Amino acid sequence: MSSSSALCSATFVDPGYDHLVELVHQRDRAAHRRLEALELELYEPGGASLGRMAVDTRQETLDLAALVAARAPGVARVMVTFDARYDSRVFPYRPHHYAYLKLRDSPDAPLYYAVNATLGGVPERIEAVTRQNNFETYLFLSRPAGERYGLRLGNLARFSPVEAQVITFHGEARAVVPVTLAPHQHADVELPLEREGARLRRVELKTLFRLASYVTGRRADSGGLVLFDHLFTYFK
Amino acid sequence: MTTPGPSPEHDPLLLCYCTDLTIGQLREACRAGTWPLPGKERTGKLCTGCLGDFLLCLDRFSAAAGNARADR
Repeated sequence: MSSSSALCSATFVDPGYDHLVELVHQRDRAAHRRLEALELELYEPGGASLGRMAVDTRQETLDLAALVAARAPGVARVMVTFDARYDSRVFPYRPHHYAYLKLRDSPDAPLYYAVNATLGGVPERIEAVTRQNNFETYLFLSRPAGERYGLRLGNLARFSPVEAQVITFHGEARAVVPVTLAPHQHADVELPLEREGARLRRVELKTLFRLASYVTGRRADSGGLVLFDHLFTYFK
Repeated sequence: MTTPGPSPEHDPLLLCYCTDLTIGQLREACRAGTWPLPGKERTGKLCTGCLGDFLLCLDRFSAAAGNARADR
């Protein structure tokens, strides 16, 4: 393992969805061989571990919904970390895990997203280190994709709590929501679609250190996800 | 909010995923007064994800090392 590079990514699992994760996005056989080890750990919203397990790196796709349903039945939101070790030759391409997400029995289109790479991934070798990646932002379309927006945050630290600032922009109006997360705790922060007649245009996230973070958009009636996306770093 | 800090059982765990630094390596470097170790200088400065744990561990390990020196 001494020549390995480490990458820890994280996502969130809600019941009622098909949720598949492609373990290595590269399609060639050599890429699969370069994923040396992968361990998953599940956390309930308060941060308590629901179990850690090794995953067979030879499989192409992991049925994450089935795994979480078996290990954490009845938990409304589970944070899952993907603690991966790669042969360093796989870099500088960063081998994100990609995921498919679809509400069962829903006419909505499935969502595809890159599992949020939170720890490691040799950012200096993919030229990401010039960015201050604990400050992130997301711009919303003027025509909203969903009727309810949120920011889903998870603290991957083992010991350190974090105080984050979630800053919303509705037109010229700026509002700050402080969020405190204990180690491995995770939360959904509601982002109002409108404030004083102005639409939500932008959200910023500022923290001491990088968190697992996704913007969510949901239908008002079904609550089904129509947006599940990572934020963007914006300081260079 | 206070949380339990790192104990020796955490020593094999990876603290910085970018520089491949374990908790035990940081503990030992602080004890020996050799932090930062060669090649580990950018710990906490790359992906930044470990920065909270790194500062917490550095603070506690440095304090423990200082106390040990004072007791001699």
